[in-house]
Amino acid sequence: MQDSPLIRAEGLSKIFGRRKVLQDINFELEKGEFLTIIGPNGAGKTTLIKILATLVLPSSGSVSIDGFDLRKDSVSIRERMGLISHNPLLYGDLTAYENLLFYGRMFGIKDLEARISQLLEKVELGHRKFDVVRTFSRGMQQRLSIARVLLHNPSILLLDEPHSGLDPHATDILDDLLENLKREDRTFIMATHNLEKGLEHATSILILSQGRVVFQGEKRDLDIANLREIYTRFVSE
Amino acid sequence: MNYIRQILTIVSKDIAAEIRTKEMLNSMLVFVILIMVIFHFAFGEVFEGVEIAVGILWGAFLFAAVLGLNRIFVHEKDEGCLDGLMLCPTDRAVIYFGKVLSSLIFIFVVQMLALPIFFVFFIKMIPLSNLWLLLLVIILSNVGITSVGTLLSAISINTKARDLMLPILFFPVIIPILIAAVKLTGLIMTASKFSGDILIWLRMLAIYDIIFLLVGFLTFEYVLEE
Repeated sequence: MQDSPLIRAEGLSKIFGRRKVLQDINFELEKGEFLTIIGPNGAGKTTLIKILATLVLPSSGSVSIDGFDLRKDSVSIRERMGLISHNPLLYGDLTAYENLLFYGRMFGIKDLEARISQLLEKVELGHRKFDVVRTFSRGMQQRLSIARVLLHNPSILLLDEPHSGLDPHATDILDDLLENLKREDRTFIMATHNLEKGLEHATSILILSQGRVVFQGEKRDLDIANLREIYTRFVSE
Repeated sequence: MNYIRQILTIVSKDIAAEIRTKEMLNSMLVFVILIMVIFHFAFGEVFEGVEIAVGILWGAFLFAAVLGLNRIFVHEKDEGCLDGLMLCPTDRAVIYFGKVLSSLIFIFVVQMLALPIFFVFFIKMIPLSNLWLLLLVIILSNVGITSVGTLLSAISINTKARDLMLPILFFPVIIPILIAAVKLTGLIMTASKFSGDILIWLRMLAIYDIIFLLVGFLTFEYVLEE
């Protein structure tokens, strides 16, 4: 049993050229929690998720995930973490099976064939296993993206605008999948500008505006009306 | 061992995607054949000597290689899969070497298909005993071409004028490889046996390959970092 939080970000900043995208971000997250990061376009949500996903290095500050330092132990972090983005990160010219086979081999998954079949059934795409991903609807691609992420059974899931571009039915399916995943003792960080979806899944909320944390709070203290009021107040400042 | 398995996984994925689309192979092959046909008609009956012929051969190979290298990260970039690759628990160098090996295979396949056409159009005779040397020169040159090209392709893919950027960055850097490849091919096609000159140029080619691979290996992580 570890005493320190699962994820700890301290003094995190990111500068692209002269533009300060993130400034002095601090937060902690315990195992099993669901942190929703809310903010308007350009607030730095995606950059923060990319830093946590080890895709982008911070300009300053530190991040520790499950005891591993983001700069020194990025490979160990990637073994424990999965990213569901608004982009499914799938090869359109390969089949669903070939995509999962590729990512599974890159992660060194044992008994990969069985794992692929199991996950495709879980996301209700077993019948499209050998179809080229380019022929999938946006919702189906997003479900396959969830199967891709779950291949290595990550304990931490990062979600970057996962509902973006989905129709209501596909959104419901994604939400059901997320609800199921939440029961599996995983830790989540979701970036979204959708307040309702953000609050629905969260255990805690963080609002970003112009690269700074302007609000942090627990979900139990919030409902959608006062979250909207807080959001409007801080973001319009 | 794990790294080699991951490199081969990237290569097999690239080959599977290319077999399905044939985007890269078709464009490279058509281009290299067109260049040879154009030069064949341009030089006509007055065409003589191997020096010009090998210049045409390597010019065609290089231009075709640029076409292929321009597309080696296109799927990753356009479909966002570069992030998917970078999320895999591996060193960034694995992505680099995987892409170098994929490019190497695609370019080599095109060259092997184009080479008979070159012999029909330009060079009627080559000492058969030197064919293995020619293959060695092509492979060594390709290592240099792909190690530089893959690195520069990763740089240019993030620029707005990516189709233009790669040739501008690539051709000046690749000149030493081009000179060595042309000299060696010329020597191989005229010399009846292995000579000291061939050895000197082969060593030069190998040294450039090592330098370019090392530069790619050491810098690729920073290139991928946005």
